[in-house]
Amino acid sequence: MSIPQTTVAESAAGARAFRLRRFDATLPVWMGAALFVVVLMLLPLGAIFTTSAFTEKGLTLGNYVEVFTDPAYLKAIWNSVITSFWVGVIAVAVGALLGWLVTRTDLPFPRAVRALVMASFVTPPFLGAFAWTLLAGPNAGLLNNWYRAASGSETALFNIFTIEGLIFVMALYSFPYVFSMIANVSELISSDLEDAANILGASRWKIALTITLPLTAPALIGGFIVAFLHSLSLFGAPAILGLPAGIHTITTQIWAFFQYPPRLDLAAAFSVPLLLATVGLIAVQKKLLGRRGYSTVGGKGGQKRLLKLGYLRWPAFLLVAAILSLSVFLPYGILLKAALSKAWAMPLTLDNFTLGNFTFTFFQYGDTQAAILNTFKLGIATATAGTLLATLLAYITNRQLLRGARYLSFFVLAPLVIPGIVLAVGLFIAYSKPPLMLYGTIWILFVAYLTKEMPIGFSQTESTFKTIHPELEDATRIIGANRLRALKDVTVPLARSGLIAAWSFIFIGVIRELSASILLFTPSSKVVSVVIFDLKEEGQIGAIAVLGILLLAVSFLIILAVQWLAGREFFASSRG
Amino acid sequence: MATVTLRELTKKFGAAAAVDRLDLDIGDGEFVSLLGPSGCGKTTTLRLLAGFLQPDGGEIRVGQKVVSSPAVLIPPERRNMSMIFQSYAVWPHMTVFQNVAYGLKLKKLDGGEIAKKVERMLRLVHLDPLAGRYPGELSGGQQQRVALARALVVEPEILLLDEPLSNLDANLREEMRFEIRRLHEEFRITTVYVTHDQAEAMVTSDRIAVMHQGRIVQLGSPEEIFDRPKTRFVAEFIGKTNILRGMLESGRSVALGDGLKLRVLAGDGLAPGKEVFVCIRPHSLRLTPSAAEAEAGRGKGMNLFQGVIQRRVYFGDANDYIVELPAQRLNLRVVAPPTQKYEAGQKVFALADPEQCVLVGEE
Repeated sequence: MSIPQTTVAESAAGARAFRLRRFDATLPVWMGAALFVVVLMLLPLGAIFTTSAFTEKGLTLGNYVEVFTDPAYLKAIWNSVITSFWVGVIAVAVGALLGWLVTRTDLPFPRAVRALVMASFVTPPFLGAFAWTLLAGPNAGLLNNWYRAASGSETALFNIFTIEGLIFVMALYSFPYVFSMIANVSELISSDLEDAANILGASRWKIALTITLPLTAPALIGGFIVAFLHSLSLFGAPAILGLPAGIHTITTQIWAFFQYPPRLDLAAAFSVPLLLATVGLIAVQKKLLGRRGYSTVGGKGGQKRLLKLGYLRWPAFLLVAAILSLSVFLPYGILLKAALSKAWAMPLTLDNFTLGNFTFTFFQYGDTQAAILNTFKLGIATATAGTLLATLLAYITNRQLLRGARYLSFFVLAPLVIPGIVLAVGLFIAYSKPPLMLYGTIWILFVAYLTKEMPIGFSQTESTFKTIHPELEDATRIIGANRLRALKDVTVPLARSGLIAAWSFIFIGVIRELSASILLFTPSSKVVSVVIFDLKEEGQIGAIAVLGILLLAVSFLIILAVQWLAGREFFASSRG
Repeated sequence: MATVTLRELTKKFGAAAAVDRLDLDIGDGEFVSLLGPSGCGKTTTLRLLAGFLQPDGGEIRVGQKVVSSPAVLIPPERRNMSMIFQSYAVWPHMTVFQNVAYGLKLKKLDGGEIAKKVERMLRLVHLDPLAGRYPGELSGGQQQRVALARALVVEPEILLLDEPLSNLDANLREEMRFEIRRLHEEFRITTVYVTHDQAEAMVTSDRIAVMHQGRIVQLGSPEEIFDRPKTRFVAEFIGKTNILRGMLESGRSVALGDGLKLRVLAGDGLAPGKEVFVCIRPHSLRLTPSAAEAEAGRGKGMNLFQGVIQRRVYFGDANDYIVELPAQRLNLRVVAPPTQKYEAGQKVFALADPEQCVLVGEE
């Protein structure tokens, strides 16, 4: 074959085009998936920046000046920062303690403790916040009633509608993030490292302080940042606990900008600092974890021995049980009680017992049936589309199929640094005018969820793909399968349990989503979390409890199903 | 005709060339090994052949057809090749039968024919009783046989093997070397075999290409490579060797230090008056305590060294000696039969046939 002599650059470019056009028939699939996700991420972000900085008169910083000089708005920013800071501190203290107790000591019932931490993790914070209004509301809160009955006092012991109350509740549902990071790291620290100190004469407690703790330090700082960001992005908890007391945070303020008369420009301008703060902190975290941290810890082979707590064993267990009762037992108990009683604050006697809340919620209240249907339709659709897209994208980055595949993961992971409500602002602006008129339909929620859940689906599938030796796939190709066929016949079946997990994570993430939904729903496209928020305004305590229990029940069923499937899969792979 | 031609083949990773203007011609039905230390570019060459990588320069032709060049890349699935991987890459979610049948299914053969071919192939690699098993239930050697059967059943034009035995234990490795050669003699498929193990290359190959820094430094039959290494690198990489530094005088004489002259086998293209290296294999040296025998040997034209035993290591099937040559201030390594025993400090003579003293260049 003859190729005309050209310059090096020309022939290289030509060669590439030639190769793509002529030989790889599966290329459009990869290009299409990559392009789709880039557009998916760029549209809302671009919308935020342009709306915040452009008016009819052109480029302006006016919106920024307005939001960053008004004392009320500044106060909201300050509230967000201060609550998130303390949430981070408490979450690290509690999460690290529990993580260490479960993985490194002979704490009783470690599996049960893990399961309950998982339950706190799965509980939507807005639901926890709602339950805590029933527990520690100043007037009718159950704990306050008990206190009054026990002490004869007239005043309330707790008031959850305060900054402290907000910090307390958000910390309860942020510490599981720290817990899982610490548990992961500390399971990898082999006892050899600790024995090495022991042989030099260090005591157990000295070892814990001088060896184990420093090794987990990167995870601790990373955990703080994750908890901080998580609480910064929450909408439901501050809306339920802060707004009644007139406390605004960044997220509730953005929501307020959407109330009549809507101020999209201010909402967009207000979103930018939240976005930048998140980006900055994630960068710091990556840097921290990317350094020595895990690699020194990553040694395998070494055995792990449990530290004997001695006489502290049961006191430690009581402490753990107390913490978990705050995040799980008390809230779940009060929800169950509220769901099953006529008057939720009264004792649950036979007289007070009713199933009326269930019939009311499922058959009488106007919005619930449609909302439940919407929620599960969206859950299934997003989880399915998301897993498929995540599979293609993870495959592209994992196998470096396209030039610049490395950069693709930035786009896919971008929503990690976009708080839900900020994403909603961007999506609202981007998709509420032609040609992409999605607002008012259920599709805008689909797009929002797909965008928001893409990082979890992607990282799950990517880490699964990493465990599959590329030669398994090369082996299919060399005897005649193209890439798509190899993906279908070998990689996907081998990644099955990881893909099922990705599907479930997305599904659970979708059915509990509030902070983006709250800006994007319309009367015809309500979802369960939004209905709960509405019911709160109407004081329909029993119905909220019923819907909350429904969300929790479905989430736990899914998790159990995954564990069962993954367990089987694990069994199968140890055989096959 | 599945001849394979590599011309000026180049692959760069960043600035470094992993494969550097490599030329190689492989005949139809020939078994060629790419032998070299890790990082020499042999696996990259193989992956270029398979089409998993695209070259930055040069080309690969199968027969007359260009399959790889900077402008052309026939994808692996359309090359009619098979490959055996270091990790076996046997699919864990398919049975032995399904693994072997997969490639035939891709060729859209009908079920009966697939079953017939798979069964015949499984018999050939002695796996027929295990057809229904999953790979997790097989030993490493059995998995390797599955990989072989899977690669051969599609009747490829060219078979590529990437360190296929490096994950097996020593005994199995030895057995599988012969198995691979046996299957080659059965099918006569043009084969390229990548390994860092010289014994594997010796047993299996028609020709060996020794690679170093992305290039082939010597290409030849196993005997040529072992007995007539062209460079110091080849001599030292293939088996143990003594390397003596000296000055080439006339065509076949090398002056070592202190007046000792060695008669050597002629080397190509080495000019007199230059510094050269002489390669003597430890088993080519013969030790004797008797001065008379030593003189008799010298009389027959043998090279004679005079030294002192410095150390003996007993290997069961051989004694391994370090002989110190005080006059030349160097040590010789000598492998002697286990019956020949000398103690440290004992004076000995070492004789070497000039035919086995090979001149090699520095590179």
